[in-house]
Amino acid sequence: MNARLLRTLAIAYGFMLPMLALKAVYTFWPILFGTYLAFTEYNIISPPRWVGLRNFEELFGLGAFAGRGPDRDFWYGLTNSVKYVLVVPVIQILSIGLAMLVNRQLPAISLFRTAYYVPVVTSFAVVGLMWNWMYNQYGPVNFILTRLGLMNPDNPTNLLANPHLALYAVMFVTIWKGLGYYMVLYLAGLQSIDKSLEEAAVIDGAGRWQVFWNITLPGLRPTILVCSLLSTISAIKVFEEIFVMTSGGPAGSTYTAMYFVYAQAFQDFRYGYAAAAGLVIAAVSLIFGVINFRLTRGGSSS
Amino acid sequence: MPDLELQRIRARKRLRVLLERVLIYLLLLLILVVSVYPFVWTFVTSLETSGGIFEFPPSLVPTDPSLRNYKEVFSLVPVARQVLNSLLLCVFGVGLSVAFCALAAYPLAKMNFPGRNFVFYAILATLVLPNEAGLIVNYVTTVKLGLLRPETGAVGQFAAIILPALPSTVGLFLLRQAYLAVPLELIEAARIDGASELTIWRRVMLPLTMPTIAAFSILQFVAIWNSFLWAVIVLRDRELYPLAAGLLDLAGAFATNTRAVSAGAIIQIIPILIIFFVFQRYFMRGLEGAVKG
Repeated sequence: MNARLLRTLAIAYGFMLPMLALKAVYTFWPILFGTYLAFTEYNIISPPRWVGLRNFEELFGLGAFAGRGPDRDFWYGLTNSVKYVLVVPVIQILSIGLAMLVNRQLPAISLFRTAYYVPVVTSFAVVGLMWNWMYNQYGPVNFILTRLGLMNPDNPTNLLANPHLALYAVMFVTIWKGLGYYMVLYLAGLQSIDKSLEEAAVIDGAGRWQVFWNITLPGLRPTILVCSLLSTISAIKVFEEIFVMTSGGPAGSTYTAMYFVYAQAFQDFRYGYAAAAGLVIAAVSLIFGVINFRLTRGGSSS
Repeated sequence: MPDLELQRIRARKRLRVLLERVLIYLLLLLILVVSVYPFVWTFVTSLETSGGIFEFPPSLVPTDPSLRNYKEVFSLVPVARQVLNSLLLCVFGVGLSVAFCALAAYPLAKMNFPGRNFVFYAILATLVLPNEAGLIVNYVTTVKLGLLRPETGAVGQFAAIILPALPSTVGLFLLRQAYLAVPLELIEAARIDGASELTIWRRVMLPLTMPTIAAFSILQFVAIWNSFLWAVIVLRDRELYPLAAGLLDLAGAFATNTRAVSAGAIIQIIPILIIFFVFQRYFMRGLEGAVKG
């Protein structure tokens, strides 16, 4: 009996060994070691030196750093990252609408679905370049804006060069690239809703809006939880689109929390300080995750 | 006459349905233009060699199309080499991660052993657990493993890029779901016949879950082909850049040469688009499956 259990254990963990080993090194170890690094000073070359809460004091402007005040770059970045969460409700509402729009039997509908998905499979390297061109002073976006009378045609300005608008311009790109992804997920959600419920409601005389509000939306709730959670997590740690499109500019207006972490680690070689910032961002991300959970009532469909 | 009344109501209803359809298609077309236009613009620009690049109104068809910009990209950066790098990374990245996920998912789906649920949920939790310091620590780990030392050469640097991408949680999850649907009687029968677990995995589980394996392979191929950030951080040697990272390099060095850069961008997208259009069905299946649980 015992030998059999041992055999099963050996076989089971043998099958999982490569996966678990890599997961341990590249996923679990970073959580542990990253937390430890946050309390040290570390530049990779010499071993980490324990500094207690000093990194956090520097971030928050406490203790030894009380005179200097909080690290402005960090808080500026974190504020922008939190602003970026604005993307979440917009992208969820738009993608639910889009999923409902394409969730019908119409000629050529699958062609549209496929086309909407193309931005999702495109690298941020390409997406960033393309949208830099789109936003060019004399590019297509400004062409439309001038025609709509929203911009002076004699002197158009690049939205990405405008400190008040650059962050929103990048947000638009995030939405543009993510929309198709969430559309597919909501499409799956819509198709899992029992059709007879909607039909019964229609027979009972419910209008379209009532059907949507009382049947479709509650049925989508688990999908909404998953999608908004995923998109909140990636909004807080937004980095790639910034890295490719604006490098945090102009005048720091698109500088985000993860850009701060990146700059501290790979430009200033302050790995401990960067890890501390990462830990604070993780905490913020967790808080937003919990808010998400509350707002969707845990994703239960009742 | 009631008959006439009925006809009128029917006609009005038909008109309403028709009107609604027209509106739907207009909306669909508008969204189509927004999603696809940047690609069209880039493609048109990559084919043109003269005239203004940015102009009001933007051009929709290339005037005097030619492949000169594509030739130019090849002379500016080692595109062929970068394509090869990307292909190598994809082949090893997809092959190994499919193998590792397919192996690990088997006991998680079809065996009873202590720690099974713990292992599964610990891995699943990493999907939502914030890990903002991950990039830093993985860089430290990569350096400490000695993968970036000059004497490890290209193999070391490629390993440095690909290793973190191998243990895919989504892949593990998809395959476990697929294995769960395999009837236990098949496995029991094979066990009675004296087949080893590895044989059962290879002869029973893998053939029965091929669609899922295909779906995950495609997802993983696209992810690896498109990734650039980790490569830019880790790689010392620009010769070893994958295409997506090389493209950013090109755009940084020749920012004003929009035509050449747009040709580079098109070269980067084309393989992905082909794969996406050919294997679309698998693609969507993988994506949906990843979220259903």
